[in-house]
Amino acid sequence: MKRNIKLLASVACILICSGMATKKANAQNFFQGQTKLTIVGNAQVDYIGDRSQSQFGNLAFKPIFLVNLSDKLFLESELEVATGAEGVEVVLEYVNMVYFANRYLTLHAGRFLPKFGAYRGRFGEAYLQRFANSPVGFGDGGIGSMIETGLGLQGGAQVGNAKINYDFYVTNGPQLLTGSPEEAGQFEYEAYASNNKKKSVGGRFGFLPFSNSSLELGYSFQYKGRTGDELTAYEKTPFTAQAFDLNYYKTLEAIKSQIRVIGEYKMLNVGRQAYDDGTGTAFTFDNKSTAYYIQGSIRPAEVTSEFLRYLEFAVRYSEFNTPQGALWFADGKHVRTQTAIGINYWYRWNGVLKMSYQKQDGVEGFYAQLVYGF
Amino acid sequence: MKKSKIIFATYISCVLAAMYLYGCKPTQAITDKSGATLWSENCQRCHNLPPPTMYNDDQWKTILTHMQVRANITREEATKITEFLQNGN
Repeated sequence: MKRNIKLLASVACILICSGMATKKANAQNFFQGQTKLTIVGNAQVDYIGDRSQSQFGNLAFKPIFLVNLSDKLFLESELEVATGAEGVEVVLEYVNMVYFANRYLTLHAGRFLPKFGAYRGRFGEAYLQRFANSPVGFGDGGIGSMIETGLGLQGGAQVGNAKINYDFYVTNGPQLLTGSPEEAGQFEYEAYASNNKKKSVGGRFGFLPFSNSSLELGYSFQYKGRTGDELTAYEKTPFTAQAFDLNYYKTLEAIKSQIRVIGEYKMLNVGRQAYDDGTGTAFTFDNKSTAYYIQGSIRPAEVTSEFLRYLEFAVRYSEFNTPQGALWFADGKHVRTQTAIGINYWYRWNGVLKMSYQKQDGVEGFYAQLVYGF
Repeated sequence: MKKSKIIFATYISCVLAAMYLYGCKPTQAITDKSGATLWSENCQRCHNLPPPTMYNDDQWKTILTHMQVRANITREEATKITEFLQNGN
């Protein structure tokens, strides 16, 4: 009942705000003030077909509320209304309060998208991502947070012909899971409350060496000295993560096509601990994980055929190496791999129909996703 | 803790090295870039190009502010791209 009330309240809020943004007469008055509200976002639905399932699902509506309060103050927030195994869920994806201190420094606080690596904070969005699902090691249960709660500073600057950008943050950070043998040594990344007094620090440095910004190289780190619950034997378990990412984009006139290569490599090193295997016996393992993906895509966007120019072809390979001795997967394997090949049809700049064939850990499947951006 | 200090030092070194190697001042060719050029170069780093007619003037200003936060584009780039999109809608 409580959930339904929350759901109704959220939908009412969305409808009211949508009405404010679209009703012309009201909008005229609304936009005359200093506060500017814009709503963008997307809707999406997935289809998965493999030897064990054939279903439509993961239906989601994700409005992003952008509010310019003044030249210095800005607010961004995303809600996600999505279907899952247990029905409809409303989730506060992020709410980020921003202060533009000067041209090189921006301060922000709240619950914000992660600045560790480039996939989860940027390329994971449905209208940017070329496949219906995430690479292995980059989705739920992978390395690094989906969201961070805390404060940070960021900025970008032109230096000669190149550009740099930076992010630095202090957040509640990851929380070590110890409750069951299947999750022992993994992390809760999206908790609303901290589990001890220590905070995590992290950042990303981006470097764009070419004057046309076609290549971006990034290095990220995150560290938290204590990740376990306060006053437990696990409290002083350290977490150290690093990531390297790249994004290259170019229009090749010779073949009238746009090509894009993106990839990321992440490493996680966690302090060794002894966990309970469920029978009262302790087990331990060297808790180090790595994950990477590399993706290439080509779109003949400059050809004369209107149909062909909206098509895009993409390939992706990803690998997730988890610690030997951990009990995270029922099949006992500690290396997950995924190979994907897909065709996308961009009927709008932010609207796409994605179809792909994938082979993950030997299981073949067909994945599709329809995305409506607005 | 020692390892984290090394990582942090590496991070700061990357920022300082990049600024030293390339000099802090943008070249004339960079400062002369038009809003249309910056729109084409920066927006396509992550997504397809949105047509200028997609949003009104106020919405473009808000969206480009969002892009400063989301994609770390510089204030100068955001300003020029906003003006270009506002003139084209």
